[in-house]
Amino acid sequence: MASITVSGLGKEYVRGTSAVADLNLEVAEGEFLTLLGPSGCGKSTTLRMLAGLETPTSGEIRFNGRVVNDLTPAERNIAMVFQNYALYPHMSVRENIEYPLKKRGVDRAERRRRSAAVAQLLQIEPLLDRKPRNLSGGQQQRVALGRALIREPEVFLLDEPLSNLDAKLRSYMRAELIELHRRVRATMVYVTHDQLEAMTMSDRIAIFDGGRLQQVGTPDEVYNHPANRTVAAFIGTPAMNFLDGEIAPEGGAPVVRSGSIAIPIEAGRTGASLGRRVAIGLRAEAIRITEGGVPARIEIVEPTGHEAIVTVSVDGRRLVTRTAPDSGFRVGDSVGLGFDARRLHLFDAATGDTLG
Amino acid sequence: MRAVVRHGGDLVRQVLTWALVLALSFPLFWLISTALRPDTELFVRPPHLLPRTYTVDNFSKLLFETPFLTYFRNSAIVAISTTAFVIVIAVFAAYSLSRFRGRFSAVVERMILITYLLPSVVIFLPIYLMLSRMGLANSLPGLVVAYTTFALPFAIWLLRSFVDSVPVEIELAAMVDGASRLGAFVDVVLPQLLPGIISTALFTAILSWNEYLYALILTNSDAVKTLPPGVMTLLTSSYHIEWGLLMAASVMMSAPVILAFAFLQKHLTRGFGAGAVKG
Amino acid sequence: MKVATDLESRDRRLGILLLLPAVVLFALLILYPFGNSLWLSFNRINTMTLASSFTGLSNYREVLSSPEFWQSLVTTMVWTVGSLVLQVGLGVAVALMLHQNLWFRSLARGLILFPYLLPMVVAVLVWKWLFNDLYGVINHLLMSAGIIAMPVDWLGSMPNAMIAIILIGGWKYFPFVVLAVLARLQTIPEQLYEAARVDGASAFARFFDITLPQLRNVLAIIVLLRAIWDFKEFDLIYMMTGGGPVSSTETLPLLVYKQAFPLMQMGKAAATAMLMMAVMSLFMVVYFRARRRFEDA
Repeated sequence: MASITVSGLGKEYVRGTSAVADLNLEVAEGEFLTLLGPSGCGKSTTLRMLAGLETPTSGEIRFNGRVVNDLTPAERNIAMVFQNYALYPHMSVRENIEYPLKKRGVDRAERRRRSAAVAQLLQIEPLLDRKPRNLSGGQQQRVALGRALIREPEVFLLDEPLSNLDAKLRSYMRAELIELHRRVRATMVYVTHDQLEAMTMSDRIAIFDGGRLQQVGTPDEVYNHPANRTVAAFIGTPAMNFLDGEIAPEGGAPVVRSGSIAIPIEAGRTGASLGRRVAIGLRAEAIRITEGGVPARIEIVEPTGHEAIVTVSVDGRRLVTRTAPDSGFRVGDSVGLGFDARRLHLFDAATGDTLG
Repeated sequence: MRAVVRHGGDLVRQVLTWALVLALSFPLFWLISTALRPDTELFVRPPHLLPRTYTVDNFSKLLFETPFLTYFRNSAIVAISTTAFVIVIAVFAAYSLSRFRGRFSAVVERMILITYLLPSVVIFLPIYLMLSRMGLANSLPGLVVAYTTFALPFAIWLLRSFVDSVPVEIELAAMVDGASRLGAFVDVVLPQLLPGIISTALFTAILSWNEYLYALILTNSDAVKTLPPGVMTLLTSSYHIEWGLLMAASVMMSAPVILAFAFLQKHLTRGFGAGAVKG
Repeated sequence: MKVATDLESRDRRLGILLLLPAVVLFALLILYPFGNSLWLSFNRINTMTLASSFTGLSNYREVLSSPEFWQSLVTTMVWTVGSLVLQVGLGVAVALMLHQNLWFRSLARGLILFPYLLPMVVAVLVWKWLFNDLYGVINHLLMSAGIIAMPVDWLGSMPNAMIAIILIGGWKYFPFVVLAVLARLQTIPEQLYEAARVDGASAFARFFDITLPQLRNVLAIIVLLRAIWDFKEFDLIYMMTGGGPVSSTETLPLLVYKQAFPLMQMGKAAATAMLMMAVMSLFMVVYFRARRRFEDA
């Protein structure tokens, strides 16, 4: 097991445009860290630099304090699971799983023993003599994991390993991976664009956008205390509502005002100076439909079974909220909105940074 | 009523299509039919569609009274040598072009495509002079050298498309799993590439087997003639043209090609277009 | 997503090393001979001693002022356009027919491809036999159909010889067009036709509004490519007519060959070859342009 330290890491494919810029990141031994972000955000490039498949343009990568920049992938003692599994099509499942050991000169008897153990762990023993093309997606996924596990490597790197599976299998494999990590306690770096995977599996999440790291934190931290508007917008379903607003005094206490909406600002929030232009961030659960309050009109009702996502409009601007499925709202109803001041997020209108 | 009309229309279409197909393949039929009939039946008016008596006289005469077998052997030697030589070089070149993209490889790539379209008559004179100076004119090795000029660009181009279709990820996976770059190539790329290599080899062999122009200018004795100029000699050398014999020779020299194509069904489009149509 | 990784930068030397044997052979067997051809075209070569003397542009002047060259250029154009039209017309028609339901379709497909597979020598021999003036099947059929009264001398007179080689060229190469068009037809999504049918398009409308526009790019490339290949065709014409009668089917490649070998006028042959290359490079430029444009599209 290894800890990973990344400092000042950068990658330019074309001079002047950074795929990854000035990245500093620590991964603790045994930690499950997810790199999350939209496509093209630099997360995959980062993972490939960790693997040694890409050469950094600047900065350092250390495993257990040792710089590994100049080591080949083979020398880094890592295991990687690829998005399309990258199983060797001409080898049987057993040969696939044993390949990393073979390349390290492990003798045949030992290889057999360890591949059997891994197959048992992943419950793929009956598949050992099949060729990859005769396996289902989920089975291929397990074989790819097996090939990574057999090495007992310093670091596991997983590049969107679940994205090729159908929705049901994906949630099943998610649970399996959590269980696997609990059991082997290996350092894992996991790349995904799916926030649900990131939120449910990770010890910590590193959120990327435009080649830059936006925030690293536990799932709770990135959800409840996003570092900036980008993170806040990316995390959470339905997505956070944003409104342009201004801090104004009202009856002595400061409020943030946006058209007919005014939400009191709790005492102790230092970033909210009077007259400042801000972006208001409200998650769906911070908005309640009530008697009275700010007048609004129901625009769309989307029942999901255990709740209903309701889109309302307030003087021409749309907000998304959630209610109980049986609340009986109809499109066109006039309602009132209440806002939970404790769940109010404020961001600088220009920079997008969170205001304390 | 309408269904009947539509059905009738389909019948007409089927018959017309097959009539066209049969008309277009009539020369093929005539070739075989002529090869199998005795000389006396060649000049009958009206000609018989099928031989009245079947005979293999033409074939036995071809094999025992003409240098046909020598030509055949020469063609085989040249085709196999050219292919073996070209494929080895082309596999590495194609792998390099597919995986290491840079300014150098872009130039090479463009050059290959241009060469693929280059007429032989533009370079055949210097090739002839060069081979004469080296003492390779009128020799089988000389033909192999000359055939490399068109076989190599063809093979590289075709193989490249096969390498392109082997996913890079499995190579990267092999490297992560502990293989060197060349080790990954041998362990996981080469086995994937094998069908492509076999196809390319067959196409290259066919090109060499069929080549006429270089064989015409570079060989002048029966001992080193290949089939194309050799069989043409059979046409021009005899006093009266023995069509039965020539058709037998045609059947025999086509046979290996047809056999090779039976294996290539799947890759025909790729091989013939060689990336030139699809890009 | 970038596919190749930049392991390539680490292994660049390996990449060049792997390419090197091919590049050396290219330089030796293609670039050098090409340069040599160019050089020859500016020289007068003594056929006995092979000694050369620089004569500047005189070979080019000689070639360009000879009616032979211009005649040959026209012949080449006639042959190229004629056989090209036949190849494309026949090829597209057959491809469309084979794309539909057909009894024993794979047999039909195999038969159709045959002309392309046959060695050129074989094709030439069969057609010489078919075109034979006294015992050929073609004359027999034409006479029994009452189209001609006397056997026609197909290869020894004009314009018959040109018609004959164009017919053979069309027959030999149309399967290439069939293959390319068929491959493209198979990639046209079936939904397009279903959508058109839902929208009320007739079979005719579906052909003109969907099939044809989808084929346009591939047809453009095929025409250019076949034009280049037909322009440089040597084997078929040389074996069939030898350029005759007299020189009426002597296309540029045959002219170069005649100057180079029977006549041993190497400088002149090289100059003619270079001029032919110049004409062809026009086709090539258009071809490369089209390729790039369609690749981007």
